[in-house]
Amino acid sequence: MQTLDITLVTGPSGAGKTTWIQQQIHSIADSALYLNLGADADSVDSTYLAAEVPGLKVLSITQLADFLAHPIPRAAIYLELGFHIDLTSLILPDQMADCRRVAVLSPGTRHTEWHDWADETVTGIEAEFTLQQPHFWRSALSRQVLDPASLNTFWYELTNGAYGVVQRAKGIFDMADGRSLYFDFVAGLPATPHLELNLPLWLNGRPDRFSGIEVVGEALEQETIAQTIKECCLEDHVIAYYQKQMRELVSEEVMG
Amino acid sequence: MKIAVMSCIHGNYEALNAVLSDIDDHNVDRIYCLGDLVGYGPHPNAVVEMIRSLDIPTCQGCWDEDIVEGLNACECSYPSVLAEKRGKLAHEWTNQVIHPEVREYLAQLPFSLRDENLCFVHGSPHNQHEYLLPEVDAFVAMERVLATGADILFCGHTHIPYVRCLGSHEAGSLDAAQLQIRVKLTGKSEQNMSFSAPLKRIVNAGSVGEPRHGRPNATYVIYDANSDQILLREVEYNYQKTCAAIIEKGLPPIFAWRLARGLEFAERADDPTHVCER
Repeated sequence: MQTLDITLVTGPSGAGKTTWIQQQIHSIADSALYLNLGADADSVDSTYLAAEVPGLKVLSITQLADFLAHPIPRAAIYLELGFHIDLTSLILPDQMADCRRVAVLSPGTRHTEWHDWADETVTGIEAEFTLQQPHFWRSALSRQVLDPASLNTFWYELTNGAYGVVQRAKGIFDMADGRSLYFDFVAGLPATPHLELNLPLWLNGRPDRFSGIEVVGEALEQETIAQTIKECCLEDHVIAYYQKQMRELVSEEVMG
Repeated sequence: MKIAVMSCIHGNYEALNAVLSDIDDHNVDRIYCLGDLVGYGPHPNAVVEMIRSLDIPTCQGCWDEDIVEGLNACECSYPSVLAEKRGKLAHEWTNQVIHPEVREYLAQLPFSLRDENLCFVHGSPHNQHEYLLPEVDAFVAMERVLATGADILFCGHTHIPYVRCLGSHEAGSLDAAQLQIRVKLTGKSEQNMSFSAPLKRIVNAGSVGEPRHGRPNATYVIYDANSDQILLREVEYNYQKTCAAIIEKGLPPIFAWRLARGLEFAERADDPTHVCER
């Protein structure tokens, strides 16, 4: 039987799992595949990595089964396990019995179930993890287009505790000028500017691609968060107005 | 003569009380108010009743006008979709709770006030909604002051206090004025002397009830005409009490969260080149 290059990656939220996977994929020349177990096929991490790592193929859980049955030669696959997945109940297929198990942990992390489970621990980001019972909340926002100034206000409020204690937040948001922006927050780390994803400008109607938000925290006011995001969204006629302006601008640049 | 000038109370009764107490400690001859008595805050009626009972000369702010005549704002009033929705929600709430006599009082407030060489407006002499930000073009700023015929224009609306001196004829700058005189004393040769003095000034009083300088403290100004000194005052008050009232009255809790951090309830225009088209 062919030996598969499979790496399972786990660790607490915000420790740097996705960042570590991104670094690993950059360092290998052959093709790489990625699957986020515990998230939908479309997730913030999957969309972010697919946009930012050239050549990376993001798998669905069905495609994982196909891959295991018919592996691609010399392909490395990284499976990210969400922090909320119970490792003791994780049953792996036979083809994955010998896979590499990596735990990405913040410096100084005391002995945890991740240590017991992993073959290898990697020092990740020095983040503050003080929550007793972290809660995971996410919302898909596909086809929604947000007002940039409103998004900045909302993101500031969210990451500064207006809607509960937030340990980790990340999101992908579509803008009226066609850009897809990636926002990333880890408690205790300096605020980072948003990143414009390497995706085509969407300038014809509501974007038919993934956007969404994921938040890990405590005492999260989910309904208020959802309502505030809704209040940041633009109506059809506003989107059409801005997209028309952008199309004309792009057209002028091409002609010029 | 010593005057106190305050603005933008926004239904924050606790902050108003604290500022009035602070003014008491400074022995001023008169108090002026630059409007926005209502809006966002939980006690619009109480604030207006206090201002009326003290017979404080007050000009009409943009929120006062909107409560009387309905929302009709230029784009500079709401720099984001979220701010606009929050602003409209606050407007609807205030519109529902305001007493008829309070609305009548707001309706009869003057657009501007004068006291000798001093002029008092809410936003700018052009309208209540225009922001005279400290970095607004010097020529625009000068035009606004000259339009009043006053030497000092007191305004609010931006919620951040500042003093700006205007007056030089130097190209590209109006921020300092040069006055040259020739002095000839008996038995001595003539001397040319230069003085630098502002010809016109804009004084922004900040905000009593809705500060946005990063702290919850109320701000206002004291002007001493005898010494020509302007004092920017920052006053601590029990903002938690206002925050509790915001929630108790059914206003959005995010207003309380923002007030406690000196962030203003919504947002304000931040484009100094924008000229209000309302």
